[in-house]
Amino acid sequence: MALLEVEDLRTSFQTDDGVVTAVDGVSFSLERGETLGIVGESGSGKSVTCLTIMGLNDPRNTTSEGIARFDGVDLLRTDPESLRALRGMRIAMIFQDPMTSLNPVKKIGWQLEEAVLVHRDVSKKEARNLALEAMKSVRIPRAEQRIDDYPHQFSGGMRQRVMIAMALINEPDVVIADEPTTALDVTTQAQILELMNQLQQERNMAIIMITHDLGVVAEVADDVIVMYGGQVVEHAKVDEIFYRPRHPYTWGLLGSLPRLDLEVERLEQIPGQPPSLLNPPPGCRFHPRCTFAMDVCRTDVPQLLSFGEGSHLQRCWLDDATKEREAARTIASLQQEAS
Amino acid sequence: MSDLLVVEDLKMHFPITRGIVFQKQVAAVKAVDGVSFSVAQGETLGIVGESGCGKSTLARCVLRLLDPTGGSVVFDGHDITNLSRSEMRPLRREMMMVFQDPYASLNPRKRVGFTIAEPLEVNNIGTDAERKRRVQELLEIVGLSPEHYNRFPHEFSGGQRQRIGVARALAVNPKLIVCDEPVSALDVSVQAQILNLLKDLQREFGLTYVFIAHDLNVVRHISDRVMVMYLGKVVEVASDRALYTHPRHPYTGALMSAVPAPNPKLARMRRPIVLEGDVPNPINPPDGCRFHPRCPRARVGLCDVEEPQLRDLDSNHSTACHLPLEHWPMTTEELTHPAEPSMATS
Repeated sequence: MALLEVEDLRTSFQTDDGVVTAVDGVSFSLERGETLGIVGESGSGKSVTCLTIMGLNDPRNTTSEGIARFDGVDLLRTDPESLRALRGMRIAMIFQDPMTSLNPVKKIGWQLEEAVLVHRDVSKKEARNLALEAMKSVRIPRAEQRIDDYPHQFSGGMRQRVMIAMALINEPDVVIADEPTTALDVTTQAQILELMNQLQQERNMAIIMITHDLGVVAEVADDVIVMYGGQVVEHAKVDEIFYRPRHPYTWGLLGSLPRLDLEVERLEQIPGQPPSLLNPPPGCRFHPRCTFAMDVCRTDVPQLLSFGEGSHLQRCWLDDATKEREAARTIASLQQEAS
Repeated sequence: MSDLLVVEDLKMHFPITRGIVFQKQVAAVKAVDGVSFSVAQGETLGIVGESGCGKSTLARCVLRLLDPTGGSVVFDGHDITNLSRSEMRPLRREMMMVFQDPYASLNPRKRVGFTIAEPLEVNNIGTDAERKRRVQELLEIVGLSPEHYNRFPHEFSGGQRQRIGVARALAVNPKLIVCDEPVSALDVSVQAQILNLLKDLQREFGLTYVFIAHDLNVVRHISDRVMVMYLGKVVEVASDRALYTHPRHPYTGALMSAVPAPNPKLARMRRPIVLEGDVPNPINPPDGCRFHPRCPRARVGLCDVEEPQLRDLDSNHSTACHLPLEHWPMTTEELTHPAEPSMATS
């Protein structure tokens, strides 16, 4: 059995304007040592998926269905007490914005110690030692002095290291990282990704990496989920997604990316805007922006099916031959430019 | 091609003062510290650098939204460095800006028709009816519909708002548009739309762009020439192709190697040059080369003493480095063992 199994997860929010189904039937499984990348644009439901797994949505206006089984326990149905015991201990989260996720009026050391003291029966002194060790493990220089600093005394990259240290301090089995490098400069991003990769290998953790940056996904992920309008549109191994993509949205994403390794006069653009989840389009959610849209796409919702015999899942009505041809064309146009 | 914009030795130091009644300056943040460049008519100059390198401050100085501490800005043959507000006014319509955050740069309480017409009104161009027609035409040019005239900013998505920002900048037919991170708040698919729009407009109206971004992919895509900044200084300027095929400054090399390629096979082979530490404090920048404390090839006695000047390597490539990269890509071994400076300059 996989470490984390998510089946048909659905999350909707009750808003003043109506019900918003932010996540609509997401399934995946994750093993130890594996990295799952979830890509999508804002509003695609990637963050909400993870907040739901962690039980961090506001229960007053949220309803969640489906199963999120972690090591045999269904996180959606377990009592709040045992969820709290797991959260931060065996499943941890790294948030996007280290400026707002740290408490500005508490010292870094205090915040790290708190994470230990909540979960483990250790003395304050031991907790402090663990905090210090965690800071060293994420390579924060002069950790002995910096442990008594406040968040504002740290740079953006260092704060993100603190966030990682806090997530890893109890040696969790699963780490969910929600855009951990989006707020950072590229050179800092390279440092953080490298660090996460090393720590993953040392500790054999499973990582869910949520990002909108296809470059980051190519770098770190083993499996990739592409989300659009609250649904998974494609789910496959990283090489499959980048070299044999099977969904028009993925083709569009790959083509619309300005990139260093090739020179193009004009980017492919996906027309229009991402859909409103308050009132999603009927049929395939991508059809209003899809250049291949057929009549069936406007009326019937495509299912997430495997392409041919393999494990490559995709949600599209196009026939296999067209998909193969278009995928080859997309990739060829990207590679020919690279040479 | 003639130069539309020439900037010489521009400096912007923000004073740090102490005292309430008798303020005295105790230090200065050297946000921009001696930057020179020129932009030709119809060209796109990209400026890249990490946060805090001074790229946005530079843009604001060029447009005289800030008064530079030193140096000169010559726009279309006029030295605008010391012009008064009223003398600046007729020139303002020649140089416009597109801002980063399409949510914050539009007045939420004004209809977009008003927002786009405002530059026309300020410059006393046309009658009310003419302005309205012009705004509707602009809305169409940027890919919106004339019916959007009476809507409020909150009724638009991020990409559409950025189109409104572009329409406002275009309203008075400027010669120069400075774009400060115009696409960094947008999703990838929408980002491509805006980049294509900017390119189309440039071709159609012969615009000149100064394009500021931290995303090297975006800058590479849109620019003819690229200028790399680090801690208030220019470290490298080159044509887009020359810079990306062979960066000469170690910082540019590190930046480029740090960009993740959306290509898993390349990503697995990639060995990024991981820089140690953070960007130093611009109040008290390091002596010598500002990059030397983080530079893998810094040489004691040279890089920490003598500040390298920006010098031409060939007609479209200059760098400020004592020990420029001999070739690209480089192994870590080659990177950390630069050739002798005398050889490198030859």
